[in-house]
Order: sequence, then C-alpha cells, then structure tokens
Amino acid sequence: MARDRPDRPEAFSEEHCVLCGRCLEVCPLFAATRREELGPRAKALLAQLMEAEPPLTPRPAAARLASLCLGCGRCRGVCPQGVDIPDLVARLRREHPGFATWVWEQALTRARRTWPLAARAAGLAPEGLSPERLGLTLKCLAGLRPGQGPGRWLTVERFPDQVRGRDALLFSGCLAENVFGHWKAAARRLLDGLGARVAEADWACCGDSLGKAGLARAQDRARARNIEVWREAGRPLIAVFCATCLSGLSDYAQDPGLFADRAEAEAWISSLAPLSGLLKAARFVLSPDAPKAVAYHRPCHADRADSDFELLSLALGPGLVLDTRGQCCGFGGVMQLAAPGLCAEVAARCWQALSKGPARTVLTGCSACVVQLRASAPEGVLVGHWLEIIS
Amino acid sequence: MKPFPKELSLRHKRFLGRLFPGDACLLTPEGAVAFGADSSRCFAPPFAVVRPERLDQVRELLAWAQAERMPLYPRSRGTGMVGGSVPVMGGLVVSCLRMNRVKEIDPDDFVAVVEPGVVTAELKALAAEKGLFYPPDPASVKISTIGGNMATCAGGMCALKYGVTRDFVLGLEMVLPGGRVLRTGGRSHKNVVGLDLTRLLVGSAGTLALVSEITLKLLPLPESTATVLACFGSLEQAMAGAHAVFRAGILPAALEFMDDMAVKAVALASDPPWPETPGAVLLFRLDGGSAAVAVEAERLEKVLSAVSPLDLIRAQGPDEERLWEARRLISPASFQFGPDKLGEDVAVPRGRTAEAVAGFRDIGQRHGLAVVCFGHLGDGNIHVNIMYDARDQAQNLAAARAKEEVFRLSLSLGGTLSGEHGTGLTKKDYLSWQLGEAEMEVMSGLKAVFDPAGIMNPGKGW
Repeated sequence: MARDRPDRPEAFSEEHCVLCGRCLEVCPLFAATRREELGPRAKALLAQLMEAEPPLTPRPAAARLASLCLGCGRCRGVCPQGVDIPDLVARLRREHPGFATWVWEQALTRARRTWPLAARAAGLAPEGLSPERLGLTLKCLAGLRPGQGPGRWLTVERFPDQVRGRDALLFSGCLAENVFGHWKAAARRLLDGLGARVAEADWACCGDSLGKAGLARAQDRARARNIEVWREAGRPLIAVFCATCLSGLSDYAQDPGLFADRAEAEAWISSLAPLSGLLKAARFVLSPDAPKAVAYHRPCHADRADSDFELLSLALGPGLVLDTRGQCCGFGGVMQLAAPGLCAEVAARCWQALSKGPARTVLTGCSACVVQLRASAPEGVLVGHWLEIIS
Repeated sequence: MKPFPKELSLRHKRFLGRLFPGDACLLTPEGAVAFGADSSRCFAPPFAVVRPERLDQVRELLAWAQAERMPLYPRSRGTGMVGGSVPVMGGLVVSCLRMNRVKEIDPDDFVAVVEPGVVTAELKALAAEKGLFYPPDPASVKISTIGGNMATCAGGMCALKYGVTRDFVLGLEMVLPGGRVLRTGGRSHKNVVGLDLTRLLVGSAGTLALVSEITLKLLPLPESTATVLACFGSLEQAMAGAHAVFRAGILPAALEFMDDMAVKAVALASDPPWPETPGAVLLFRLDGGSAAVAVEAERLEKVLSAVSPLDLIRAQGPDEERLWEARRLISPASFQFGPDKLGEDVAVPRGRTAEAVAGFRDIGQRHGLAVVCFGHLGDGNIHVNIMYDARDQAQNLAAARAKEEVFRLSLSLGGTLSGEHGTGLTKKDYLSWQLGEAEMEVMSGLKAVFDPAGIMNPGKGW
C-alpha cells in the first residue's frame, strides 16, 4: 500500500529484517556509542536501501558504514527472523573491495604511531601487513604489550585419564604461535599431564578474522591447510585454548566443500576439543597467594556451555566473582584497523562492568580478548588467559 | 508561512556542526538514512541527524528550527509501529539516545525523574532495586524508551490493572519551537492547578514540543508475581475462560490472549512453552503479597478448570519470563505468514471483545488472508496483524480492504482505531472516521499554540 509505505524500497520485500529493533538490546557497539546508525538494524536497513534499484543511498559509503561491526553475533541470537548480521557484514566487506583498500589505508595512516610497537612485539615489518597475517597484525595493532600477567597460583594436583594415550594436536592460534609462546608451552605441559601423545603441527590461521574481514580466498586457503594438517596426522583430537579459534574451526563444518564427505565433516567437529573441557575432571589446588576475587570475561565467541568458565568455576569456587556475560571487549577483528576509536569506546564500557566488583584480576579464554583487555585495562588490574595462572 | 527547506544549506550545516560537535551531528547521507524508518517499515530519509545531550542545546536547536522552518523529528529507538517518527518532510531527526540519564528515583516521593532516552526496562530494573515499581510494560519494554512510550502513550500488558503510560506521567519539562522551556505538572501525585497540559502532551507523538525530562509516578513493588498460561481447544473456550475469571471477581495484572494463528507463529519462530499446539492461549499475571498471590493463583486455576482447558502451566519467579517471551514474540513472529504486515491495534469496549475478535477473523477469512489476533484481552485492546505479500497486487488490495473493515467494525462497536500505537503515517488517513470536525478544529488550534510554524513531526495528519 503506497499509503502505508510512502517511499518503500523494493528490496524490503526481499529481505527478512522487519526492523523490529530487538537487536538493539544486545549490540555492544550500539550500547557503547548510542549511535543508531551503527546498530544491527541500521546495517540491515542500509543493505536494503543500497541494493534497491536505483540505490536509495550511495553504495560504497553505505557499505562502509554497514561494515562497522564487531562481529560478536549477539544480534543473531535474538533475531526472530533469523537475520545473520555478521554474515551480512562479511558479505558487504567481500563484495565491496573498496572496503579492504580503505581499511588498509586507515591502518597505514596510523602506522607511524602503531607500527613501532607492533613491530617490536611481533618482529613484524610493514610488509607483514598481508592478509595471511591479518589475525596477528590486528592483535598487534590493538596495542599488544607484554603487560603484567595474572601470576601463577593454580596447580593441577591430579589429571584425569580420559585422553591418556590418545593422539592429539595442539591448535594454539596466531597469537600464541607468534608472540605469547608461554601460552603454547603451558598448554603443551597440560596435554602432557593429561597423557595425550601430541605431534607437532604447522597450522595456518583459523580463518575467523579473515572471513569476517571479507578476505574469503585467504580464509579458504587457511581452512584447506588446516584440514590437510589434521588429515596427515591421522585425524586426531585437536585441543584448542582460544574460544574464537574454536568457534572459527567449528565453522568449517558449514562449508561442505572442504571435506571429502559428511562423515569427514562430522569427524572434524568431534575432533575439536576445548583444552579446558579436557581438564574438567582434574583436581586443582589454589596457592595461598591466589587472589581472593577474580573476574571472568566471557568471550563473544564462547559457545553456550563455555567450558573455560566451567573450568574456572570448578577450580576457583567462590573466588570467581563476576562473569561479564553481556559485554564485548571491543576487539572486533578488522575493526581495529577500520575504526579503533569505536573499539576503544566498547572496551571502556566493558571495563565499567568489569570494575563493578572487587576483582583486580581478570581472566578470559580468547587470545584477542586478552590483548584488547590488557591494552585497555585500568591501572593495577591484571589481565590474562586462564592458562597463565597454572603453575 | 514559508515552505520547509528542500535540503540543508552550507549555513545550516555550519550551525549544526557548531551546536553538535563531533559525532553528535551526522550529516552523511548514508548515516542519516539509517534514521529514516521505524518498525512500521515506512521509510523517508531525513537531511541529517543531531544528538543533543543537554537542555541548552535543545533550546538553541528549537529556536533555530522555528526561524528556519526546519522540520524536527524526535526519535529514540525508532520501535514505533505506525511510522510516527518517520521524517516524511525531510528535516532533522533529533536522536534522544544521549539524553538517557536517570536523574532520580525517590522512594519517599515515589517518583522517578528521567530523560527521554532511558530504556523502559532499565528504569523498571533500577526502580525494582529500590523496591519500587513502574508498571507500564509495552511488548517492546526491553528495546523502547520512556520518551517513545510517553510520545505514543504506550500501553502494555499490565494496563488492565495499572493503566497506561499517561497514568504514570506526573510532570514534563519540554522545549517549545522557538526555544521556550515549559514545565508542566510536577512531583505531586495530585495536582489540579490549571489545564492538564501533561496529559495533553502524553500521546502527542512529538507534534507539540520536544520533551527533555519526564517525572514518573512509581508504586511499591509487589512482593510476588505468578504467571498462569492456559491452553484451550478453541478461541470460544478461551473467551469463556476470561469471562469466568472476571465474573469470579479476579483482577489479574495482565490478561493476554493468542488466537490459533498467533500460537502457530510463536511455534514457528521459537521453542514454544506449551506441550501440544492449542487452539487459543490465555496468559495471566497475578501480583501482590506472596500469600495473596498463591491463594489467587489457586482460585484462578479452579475457575479456569471449569471451562476445560487443555493445559494450565503455572510459573513463578524467573520461570515466568519464558511464558511472557512467547507473548512478546508474536509481533515479529507473525511474519512467518507473509512478508508484509498491516499491524492494527484497535480497541473496543471490554464487553464487546469476543464479538470483535470473531469479526476480525471473519474479515481475514473473507479476504483469504492470514490474520493473527492477539493482545490485551482484559482491556479490549486487540492486535490484528493482517499478513500479505505486497508484491501481489490482489493481496495488496485485499489487505487494504481488510484493514478498513477492521476499522469499521471497531468503530461500530464503540471502539477506536488505535489503543496504543498511535496513528502516525499508517492511520493518518482514517482520522476523520473517528474524529469529527469540531474535535479536529480544536486539535489544530492547540497545535498552533504550541507549534505555530508547524515544524514538530510534520506530515502526521494533525
């Protein structure tokens, strides 16, 4: 009805978003900035308007605005229409190649300020700004600094036997492979304690940041490489200690072209195991110098059960005082390049929540979250991966 | 009167950039279009968006806008259902999302003083922390704001027992076009000095002034609540159940109903709370002292049992939310039956509800369209969602006719075109069906007193 829709673009009927606004309740970028044009509903509307014929808003600029997304996926969880905004954003980034160029330009204009730090931390040269190294580059640009870790104050007194004698690979992720070698070493020690037979593996990036940045080909290459590594090792268990990597690796099953058949895709999924899950039946002892109160930052990409949180609940008991279920750290992948100011606003809001309780130690289970939180932590607050507390 | 500007001049942009520094002024076309639609899916792009944070900014903006005859469209979350905030004449969207302070919650005066951008559920939660209760609860309570609720006089599920937004607004601070500040009402729960301008403003849909502060009445928080979901084989049985409850002298805080189509929509969009698909559902909320609620729930179930429900599901505490979530999902979930919707929210006198619902369903059947009926059975406010596919010309026409028949039937039963959404764009052409010439004339006169240049939310029929 023309009367009801004074200027209704054709594309509305093609798309599923009904503009109900339920996503506004959960979007951390919208919450931190109170800018409606950055919310999930605005992204769906912008996509519809620019894809109308003729476009109702200039395409490259609208695509760029709609691409400003942290990719946390909360909106997908509450949408009654099943609209997948992070997926829409990845498509826009992919289909508008101007986006990638623009992002790299943004990064390079800031390089003078950020580069010395990143280069020192990761041994990268400017030419390291290649898609394959995107994940690591992003983490470095987020302000990677050694920072002060949370200290070691948890001992495993007894390991369970559930994977004893089993072949396994350790997927450490870009950051532990390249910068935080002590995470990888700690994970390795735990797997040894569990009695797993761990083989060396030359993994690529999990591909999550690449896909979300719209770099589909680089993501495909990384995924294919990782599946090959797993096949060559005889399809063993893959222990993962980064929530985002685990989520990125699990997503492979949604691309049937990567696997020989359905059975292989299912085998891939069942081979993925969060390291924390393997430790659940372990017995832990807290050192006397353990902090009395610890906050847990729940990564956006943790699955519903969040085995890292479960493990810490079991190991720390009442010492675990806060769980930031609704907050995003603001890392945001390629957003670190495109709009670091927005990332900082989201981080500040996350810290408001984390600072509510008495805890001065914050633990999490995602390497990007560690980097972002460590870079933005208030004075005197210690941030770390839970692996770091195990002696 | 000079015409509205066709676009922003360089001079306009300079002024706005100075008054709203940084990201508080959004001039890019791609940024501004994101503010062109609301949940009605009507769309028209504004020239630009501004985000005031302080009263002095609002005053300067309204003085300037009147001098320039620049249309202003106040907006918070944009979750209205009738296009009330859609900027059909261009101009500026004034986003109130950065005026979102809860200035005061006073447990002695039983008032809250808030800015318009505060999300309603957040206010309810803050009040509850102090043992206080803000009852209005539109289905959008988690995503809509006090400012938007005030502008539309939002109702909600608890209106049956407690009333609608207007019943809780004690006072307002607003800025008139030209920049003058007007303060109406106050924090006294009773106040009869002068004309009741507060009530006039509530529901005026941003057409008279820009509201900058709202003083709300609060109640003591009921000690306990209970929810009972009653499943029936047919709508007739459900209506008989509702009738029996009122006859027994029970006044629930809320009484919602869902017809068979609403039940199906919820089941398609989520994991529904009922074990097997019923033909109709009633949802009751009881509140009060713990002992009283327990006794009342027993009584309610006993009365309902006499009309043979398929299932009675009772929940208390956090479990209640799951039952209410099903109700809140109906509106978006109704798109399972068609990509387009005419969502009407007519209201009829309480005694005519059963007749009205039967009539609306008949209208749908006659036109071969999916019609989803649900809503506030207790106060006669019925949501009638007519689902169709706008790409199909025949369905377009059928939906338009069905909507008009729904309006005619409501009016013939002594009802109204809108119980809580307002008229906005989607119902503005039907105002004369309900309002006479004399009423329209008085309203136009009032509008001219507040907004002589006609810059506040123009294009909405009054």
